[in-house]
Amino acid sequence: MSWLLAATEPVVRLTPQARIVAAILAVLFMLLILDLIRRDKLLERYSIVWFLLGLAMLAGAAFPDLLELIAKVIGVRDVTIGLFSIVLMILLALSLNFSVIASRQSKQITRLAQQSAIESIDEDSGSTEESG
Amino acid sequence: MKTLVFIPAWNEADSIRAVIEDAREHVPGAHVLVIDDGSGDGTAVQARQAGAQVASLPFNQGVGAAHQTGYIYAMANGYELCGQIDGDGQHPAAELARLLAEVEAGRADLVVGSRFAEASGYRTPWARRTGQRLFSLIVSTATRQTLTDTTSGMRALNRRAMELFATRYSSEFAEVESLQQAVRAGLTVKEIPVSMLPRERGSSFITPLGSAFYIFKTLIVLLVGQLRPGTPTPAPEADK
Repeated sequence: MSWLLAATEPVVRLTPQARIVAAILAVLFMLLILDLIRRDKLLERYSIVWFLLGLAMLAGAAFPDLLELIAKVIGVRDVTIGLFSIVLMILLALSLNFSVIASRQSKQITRLAQQSAIESIDEDSGSTEESG
Repeated sequence: MKTLVFIPAWNEADSIRAVIEDAREHVPGAHVLVIDDGSGDGTAVQARQAGAQVASLPFNQGVGAAHQTGYIYAMANGYELCGQIDGDGQHPAAELARLLAEVEAGRADLVVGSRFAEASGYRTPWARRTGQRLFSLIVSTATRQTLTDTTSGMRALNRRAMELFATRYSSEFAEVESLQQAVRAGLTVKEIPVSMLPRERGSSFITPLGSAFYIFKTLIVLLVGQLRPGTPTPAPEADK
């Protein structure tokens, strides 16, 4: 089983400094989200996922074993690459989610516009009704 | 039969009056409704002056949303027959009357006027023409019937087709996708040759590159459309 190099080669870990920076950023990120909710700039329903992401960042900084586990699962020796891969995946999923939300809202806006257009006929029909 | 003729129009102030008068003349008993897709040039005012009723979308929503407004209105107001022509004056209403007669006679649920079957002097840019051929090929393959003019905006339909389109209608690829949708929903779609006029004014805004991109997008939409369930889908929920 010597071809399973990833298991035997030394693992590249995060430096303590990187972990501290990550933890600080995670805390700041979560504070920012709380502030956005407080100022009504962000709806709660969209904030939860971001808050969870902040928590995950904090967890990654606090428990580096977690990142190593992830790196091992996806088969990379460098923990930072594992980290980047996971973050990329999450961002990809989030942006897809927002496209879905945008599509739904655009459909709703269209329906509203159509309703409003149909109602606008009834308003002007009194003055211009001469067809038929 | 209670008939509606609707005219989707986006910035067609120069031609809309003539189109309305044409529709009045050639489809006598019909109610004429202009669907103003957020025009900024006074299309709605012109249309009202010509004596038509106007449904004004508050902002431009695209041709599909405008068509669908017509279908929703026709369904809600009990119209049994519905015809549509573009607001730019390239569709003679006399030809629409022929389409309406086909639907009224019960020969199809949806009748489309095709400009390619007759020597009408209708010329389109080569890229557009190639695209239309390609659409035609694909839609014809997908629907297993020959449809030559898949982007035609001259159509007549009965309540069955209206109901389908009022429920779900593509916003960006309106004409092409709705043909596929109609056939897959089990409707009888028929194409009859009509003569069309060149656009009265204004050139087609589509460049070759733009056309290529549009064709590509439409191909994807059609492929996805083939994967949709064949029966009509229920109306999208307001929220989940």
